[in-house]
Amino acid sequence: MEDFSAVYRECYPRVLAYAASHAGAQRAEDITSETFTIAWRKLDQMPSNALPWLLGIARNLVLAARRQKWHDEIDDVPVTDDFVRVVEIRSALASLSDADQEVLTLVAWHGLPAAEAAQVLGCTTATFFVRLHRARRRLRAALSTPNYDRARESWKTS
Amino acid sequence: MEDLLKDLAAAKPPTPEVDPARMERDLARIIALPRRRVAGSQLVKRFAPLLVAAAVIALVVVLLPHPTKPVQPAAPPQWWHALTRHWSLMVVGDPANPYLVEFRSTTDRWLTADTEISVIQKDGEVEPYSREDEARWELAGKPTRAPQVGGNHSVRVGPMKPAVLKTAVSGFQMSLHSNVRLDSLHSLSKDPVELKKTLENLVGGKDAYRTASLAMELMAANVSDDQRRALFELLKTIDGVRFLDQAPLRNGSTGVGVAVAAPPRFQFSDVETHFIVNPETGLPSRKLDLITTPQHGLPGYTPVAEAEYLLLDRTTIDPIVPQNVPVNGEVESPIVAR
Repeated sequence: MEDFSAVYRECYPRVLAYAASHAGAQRAEDITSETFTIAWRKLDQMPSNALPWLLGIARNLVLAARRQKWHDEIDDVPVTDDFVRVVEIRSALASLSDADQEVLTLVAWHGLPAAEAAQVLGCTTATFFVRLHRARRRLRAALSTPNYDRARESWKTS
Repeated sequence: MEDLLKDLAAAKPPTPEVDPARMERDLARIIALPRRRVAGSQLVKRFAPLLVAAAVIALVVVLLPHPTKPVQPAAPPQWWHALTRHWSLMVVGDPANPYLVEFRSTTDRWLTADTEISVIQKDGEVEPYSREDEARWELAGKPTRAPQVGGNHSVRVGPMKPAVLKTAVSGFQMSLHSNVRLDSLHSLSKDPVELKKTLENLVGGKDAYRTASLAMELMAANVSDDQRRALFELLKTIDGVRFLDQAPLRNGSTGVGVAVAAPPRFQFSDVETHFIVNPETGLPSRKLDLITTPQHGLPGYTPVAEAEYLLLDRTTIDPIVPQNVPVNGEVESPIVAR
């Protein structure tokens, strides 16, 4: 039980951050709580490096909860010079498939190394690298489409 | 490229602040929950007095005169909802310098006893498989249509168009077995031996792969837990089937499954199908086709196709289909005439 409590306190903020970024801040605490409830019931299966396993559980809960898009909550960004870029990037990210968004955010937002991110997604590390490469390419393409160029210009002049 | 990921990292939504009170409250609640199910015999012993009381109450209720039944509003239809992600590989291009493309899409299906609604080719895309394949595709001039190697058709590279299909025919059509149609899933036996005989009759003989693949398809259908358990038990008894006790699941834990030799898949021979079940839920988790020998530059035991069951569930929520896609309109297949 001490081990579980230690893992809980260590991983709670990162599971919460993952849930918030994929299901919205309002649902994040409930999903995190449910994640650890399932983890408790499956404690025998918990690996020593528990985070990817916990994020895998959270991911299934997010899928089941019919993903609520985080990009509806753009008001979390302070209006500074970076605001335009953040809006651009998040809009471009939102235009990608759910699978591409997952691959990119596991690395860029949740800081997982490739092997652990692959574990969350249930694929091999080699497959993860292939998916990451493609997702990056598509994000770059999305950022360079005329819509985003126009959006960039309109932000600059406003 | 690295700058792109740095930019993306900078666009991360703020991490929500942990509410320590809620965190500790949840922890206290969670560790107070029982971790393991009570074993069957212990359960019976523990709840024996309650079971006796329940039986007495049930008997009294049965013997009492029945009041007139109140009129109740019609219950909403219950759907079997299956969300499946598919991918598969195909060899295309100049036969002297071929490359692999990957077909990737999601299928959303809702079924009742007399209606089926499917969204196919959802988020679908065809694209070069690996970086090496992408380099060869670029060298070939980034064709939007690439000829199949050893086939008469071409493959359209790029996004697929989703399609919505709706049928209203009673019974259950097994998609992998065009000649197999079941009037009802409820009538299927819960006994593995009986069930095996039924399935062998349906596929027309003792064909290991056809029987196994029908059992796999039924396991992903709206059958009861007992029937699903019987289907898995019968799978293990089919001649030539190998039991897999250490199969990786998407969530990092271990599943169980079976492996069966499969017929060649167009460009790939020496194929084996692996069917993996999550032992926690008893539900199918993934179905993979692997080549057992090196082919087309891929090493042996590489998956060349996969169906990943993201959701298998009963629901009363009506199907959600994409707007602006005509129901039963033309399906634009990514495989086109040359």
